[in-house]
Amino acid sequence: MTALTLSPRWSRRIGNWALNLLTYAVVAILVAPVVWLVFGSLQTDSDLANGTYDFLSPTTAAFREMWDTVDFERYFVNSLVICSVAALLATAFASSAGYALARFRFRGADTFSLTVIGTQLIPGTMFLLPIFLGFIWLNQNTPVQLYDTRLGLILVYTAFFTPVAIFLMRAFFVAIPRELEEAALVDGCSPFSAFVRIVLPNAAPGIIATYVYAFLFAWDELLFAATLTERDSETIPIGIRTFISNYQQEYAQLLAAGVVATLPVMVAFFATQRWLVRGLTAGSVKG
Amino acid sequence: MLGVHIAPTIAGIYVAFLDVNLFTFHLLFRAPFVGLDNFRAILVESDNPLRPGFMDALRNTISYTAWTVGITLSAGLGVALLLNRRFPGRRVCRTLMLAPWVVPSFVAALLWQFMWQSDTGIINRILVDYTHLLDDRPIWLLGENSIWAIIVPTIWRGLPFVILVFLAGLQAVPDELYEAAAIDGAGPWQRFRYITLPLLRPLIAIQLLFGVIYSAYQFAIPFVMLGSNPGPYADLLMTLIVRQAFTNQLIGYGAAISTLMMIAMLLWVAVWYRAFRRDLVAAA
Repeated sequence: MTALTLSPRWSRRIGNWALNLLTYAVVAILVAPVVWLVFGSLQTDSDLANGTYDFLSPTTAAFREMWDTVDFERYFVNSLVICSVAALLATAFASSAGYALARFRFRGADTFSLTVIGTQLIPGTMFLLPIFLGFIWLNQNTPVQLYDTRLGLILVYTAFFTPVAIFLMRAFFVAIPRELEEAALVDGCSPFSAFVRIVLPNAAPGIIATYVYAFLFAWDELLFAATLTERDSETIPIGIRTFISNYQQEYAQLLAAGVVATLPVMVAFFATQRWLVRGLTAGSVKG
Repeated sequence: MLGVHIAPTIAGIYVAFLDVNLFTFHLLFRAPFVGLDNFRAILVESDNPLRPGFMDALRNTISYTAWTVGITLSAGLGVALLLNRRFPGRRVCRTLMLAPWVVPSFVAALLWQFMWQSDTGIINRILVDYTHLLDDRPIWLLGENSIWAIIVPTIWRGLPFVILVFLAGLQAVPDELYEAAAIDGAGPWQRFRYITLPLLRPLIAIQLLFGVIYSAYQFAIPFVMLGSNPGPYADLLMTLIVRQAFTNQLIGYGAAISTLMMIAMLLWVAVWYRAFRRDLVAAA
């Protein structure tokens, strides 16, 4: 062997290093925009506009100003209230329905998954237009006020997220061995108390994951929020849109608003990541 | 549970046959019934003023969906293969790559909208000022480039979930298969082509099915980045529907396009089912 040719072992090593480098580069590209979001929010508007970035002396001025510029607090509180309540209702419905689907055989149980997939085929605007007309009609003809109220969005989100939540909860309930319940029944539990005392505690990770899932989706929802609200119950995505159209030059504040809107999601996500990722990928892997 | 989905859908289809406009809006569901007029305006009447906007949005939606789904799935598979190897920092990389997924899509849109800015955005700074790859600063958020300004963030945000699913699938492939193939003299490409791809086919099928549906119904990213009127190069069917229904109060017209979209998706599911029926049976 001459000195210039590489031994197979070395060429494989170099190939491995190249692939490692490629992997790091890809991950860096995926993460970079998020890093930029955080860095940018700690700069001043003029630094961002002129490209004179100063990463050594960050300032939190943008975070303080942004609350006043678009009354961000209103959007933030609306989002928190609407999303927590809607996720709670969807999870409560999904727990009972998911349990029924996992444990009891009845007609139509098999077609359920198909129906859940079916609901995904309907464009949001298909529900939205009649719901919009219906809300307006209620406002004009009855004392029930749903247009531009938190209650209206809560109802819509609950209805919207319950099917997928049931799908998730069913998978978690199926994973709990039936023998646990049977043992409780033998020991003299009623079916209901077996559900409350044995099944629910075991399903807790699933319930939390489903709650977080519904919360994340509601937090991210824009179509209904953009069209069924006018002022009082506008949520964060609408606030961000208002920011972009009216305060385009306040770059740092825009990014700061983005950071604040991401924080609750990030906390919820990483606190429950284990269960959430398992629950979401399990369905698609079994396919 | 199903009532909350089916009843409004049927009502929505009914609205597609009504002439709800600025003058009849106060009548709500009792607006004049005009039969297929809304559909005719979109599909048949070539001189209808609403038609060019619809054709633009249709063309943009098709290319937006094709590009986002195509690139997200192929890049997602590639990155999953990279992350499935043994290398230093594997655990950290697998957590870090979730970052785009944790950011809500409206924040992703806000962030990219800022990065795409022609004069002050970081993308042009890198391409023009730092690396001199381009001589003059492209305008990303207007004109022909604007469709890419919404495709790229959609791919960026969609990648982590696809990678997660493919990684889970890759880990389920038994090592013995690769070892046996290697002993029989199969190279890396042959192992990928004849072991990995066939075993991942059901996963690819499911991702393809939902990827197309979610892309076609994407609203948040184009709306936050480009507003309610993204212009003829980036207007999607969803932004068109919302603009016509809520800014111009042509609610029946919006409902008609929604109905057509739903029919298109049903057709897509039928095509998908014919193509992947074998894999569904294999998976079950």
